[in-house]
Amino acid sequence: MTWTNSPFRSLDARRLLSLVLIGAFVWSLSSVDWRGGIVHTGGGDALKDFPLALFPPELSPGFLKLGLIASWQTVVHAVAGITLAIIIGLPLGIIASGSLGKPGRVRMLVAAVMRFILAFMRSIHELIWAVLFVAAFGLSSLAAVLAIAIPYAGILGRIYSELLNDVSEGPLDGLRSAGASPAGVLIYGRMPMVLTDLLSYGFYRFECAIRAAAIMSFVGIRGLGFEIQLSLHDLKFAEVWTLLLFLFGLVLLVDYWSTSVRRSLNS
Amino acid sequence: MSQYQNSSNRATHDINHSRFLVDGRGLSKVFGTLTAVSPLDIAIKAGERVALVGPSGSGKSTILYILAGLIPPDSGDLFLDSKSTVGLQPGRELSESVGLIRQQLDLVPQLPVVQNVLAGRLGKWGLLRSLVSLFSARERDSVLATLSKLGIADKIDEPTSQLSGGEQQRVAIARLMLQAPKIILADEPVSSLDPARADEILRLLTGLADDIGGVMVASLHAPDLIREHFTRVIGLREGVLQFDIPSEELMPSVLEALYDLDQQPIPIS
Repeated sequence: MTWTNSPFRSLDARRLLSLVLIGAFVWSLSSVDWRGGIVHTGGGDALKDFPLALFPPELSPGFLKLGLIASWQTVVHAVAGITLAIIIGLPLGIIASGSLGKPGRVRMLVAAVMRFILAFMRSIHELIWAVLFVAAFGLSSLAAVLAIAIPYAGILGRIYSELLNDVSEGPLDGLRSAGASPAGVLIYGRMPMVLTDLLSYGFYRFECAIRAAAIMSFVGIRGLGFEIQLSLHDLKFAEVWTLLLFLFGLVLLVDYWSTSVRRSLNS
Repeated sequence: MSQYQNSSNRATHDINHSRFLVDGRGLSKVFGTLTAVSPLDIAIKAGERVALVGPSGSGKSTILYILAGLIPPDSGDLFLDSKSTVGLQPGRELSESVGLIRQQLDLVPQLPVVQNVLAGRLGKWGLLRSLVSLFSARERDSVLATLSKLGIADKIDEPTSQLSGGEQQRVAIARLMLQAPKIILADEPVSSLDPARADEILRLLTGLADDIGGVMVASLHAPDLIREHFTRVIGLREGVLQFDIPSEELMPSVLEALYDLDQQPIPIS
């Protein structure tokens, strides 16, 4: 047994890592200024007022209409973003899975490069992409859609490539011995075997995209988050609650929809 | 080869290999430290039905997978239907010559029956045709005719996962019928079946081989089925050929000795 493979050494390394992390946490406590109090002046009142403002939230017809319009904008950004993400992410994920082309070095190299590209796309947060695209396209829906589509394509591509690789080999061997090319094995074997999972994960990501679309407001794109930010600035917590309830309702709707679609797929 | 105790083919082996549908020479395969197949010669003529017998781990499945092109041999040459298989990937080139049916059946459970049967055509179809057929099945009539022969025509549009084991086996045979390879390989095709069903499945497979004018090679254990459906028996132990005899010469004592854990010598006359 070589020294580098020794289990004792890896145990030591893990202990060392734990110690470093605990140390970092303790050190971070010391950087908090405890004497002035954690909550700043007036912050206590805000913490108290915010939950109380839920009873009741702002329900005037004018504001509800505003909430509906903002929700619609958010949904449109999320739907367009996730659709584009799937259109981009699926083919990239297929390439990254290395299930196309003749087995060999070229295929492995292409797959590795594609995994690297996917990692780059998702390692940059959607808000950063949003800042970039707002700089390029202005405060338009296009900026919001692209800012969601690119990191989400990176995430979907990576998950899709793993799902496509994790199918049982038996049916694939059956297709191969029946004469199927790698592309044939993909469309007759891998894809049908993981289709439900691909859709489920797409729906889960759609839910995340709704929240991401709401957050886009912080760079000034219209939507639920934009209105939340405006109401927060005015300290109108009742309005904030109304808008949060709209967001909650949207996520519930997507959840309900995706559950019923998945159920019909599985039956 | 020194392992030969009785080889009816040794004398004919050096003649022009095109007479044999299957012609393997010095095929071997090692997995890690386990020798699955010691260098083995195997030659099979059109019309022959060959049963592979031997205890678990004797190399039967490995030989079938090598013949099917699913795993490459470590050494040796393999000609299928007079075509060299060196460097061939499983796929278009091989699928006309050789088809494999396994105990696990290898169907795609999520696809409807018709698509699993049509997968037998994938070696002949281009990508576009395969893709279109996935959404609107081509050659549905021939699938229907094939399934009718097997008595499951009414299942054509059902999801394959909802069929019983026996029905799925027929779907796998229907796929093989559409593929129509000259060399039919079957890995333990009847090991989980009752005698009546086992008899019927072997009848279907040999019938298919007869229709095409090809050969069938199957691994199985039941001596009565071997004598009824096969012309030749090859016995293996730990990847080494033990005997290669006409099936009518297969005596119970021979099989007992082959499966004997103490590895007694095998009484071949």
